[in-house]
Amino acid sequence: MATGDARVLLPPSVTNGDVIYVRAIIEHPMDTGFFRTAEGQPIPAFFINDVTVMYGDQQIAHFEWTSGVSRDPSVTFPLKATREAPVTVTWKDNKGGVYHQTVDVRFS
Amino acid sequence: MDELTGSLWRKSRALSLYFMDRRAFLALTGSSVAGLMLGHGPDDDEMTDEVKRVLKARFGDRTLTKAHVQFDIPENAPDGRFVPIFLETDLPQTPDHSVKAFHVIVDHNPDIYVAGFWGVPSIDTRIKMRRTSYVRAIAEMNTGELYVSAKKVFVTLNGCG
Repeated sequence: MATGDARVLLPPSVTNGDVIYVRAIIEHPMDTGFFRTAEGQPIPAFFINDVTVMYGDQQIAHFEWTSGVSRDPSVTFPLKATREAPVTVTWKDNKGGVYHQTVDVRFS
Repeated sequence: MDELTGSLWRKSRALSLYFMDRRAFLALTGSSVAGLMLGHGPDDDEMTDEVKRVLKARFGDRTLTKAHVQFDIPENAPDGRFVPIFLETDLPQTPDHSVKAFHVIVDHNPDIYVAGFWGVPSIDTRIKMRRTSYVRAIAEMNTGELYVSAKKVFVTLNGCG
């Protein structure tokens, strides 16, 4: 497991018009900048500060985070499945890292 | 005879005093223990200056109404690094009147504005907390109203450093 490993989870079966819960998880240390290592060196702040969720070509959600969100952040939010399209979550951190994860909504 | 009734009366009087004292004592200790455990009244969530400053910077002079935000958060959080929080409102969501954003503020964190969530009608996530303090959830509607709700969370382990 390494920083930036991400998963976006959908329910196993989706029908048109359902409200589904999307769960997005990413591996990230979310360092606040206040902790020190065992040698006394400060750990610099390193956290995700911007998250966007795209459904097809439409942006449906945007989250603004600080270091106050827990390590390995996970969010669960409802989404109305109206069409078959990919859900893409993009995480951006304060050191310029950009992480993507995509999952397709398929009606069963 | 007089002596007997007198002594009986005295005895019962003493007994009743004993019971009253015990009841009064129990009532007193009960209320003080409850007071210690709760430590605050129902409306003891006055905003600190820092919270007011952040709210002013973000929302200007818009008024906040105490209603309609419902959030689930444990009352006692043993680990301040992972405090689960779930936010929603009890208002029906229509295109004309829906939640535009949720904001989370923790009074005694180093950075008190923890997160903002735009475009979702409810959100479930985990936050960090430095110590026991109020957690405030603010729902911003697309019509411009602001609803707020606050809950005190007892934290044992510092999660912020």
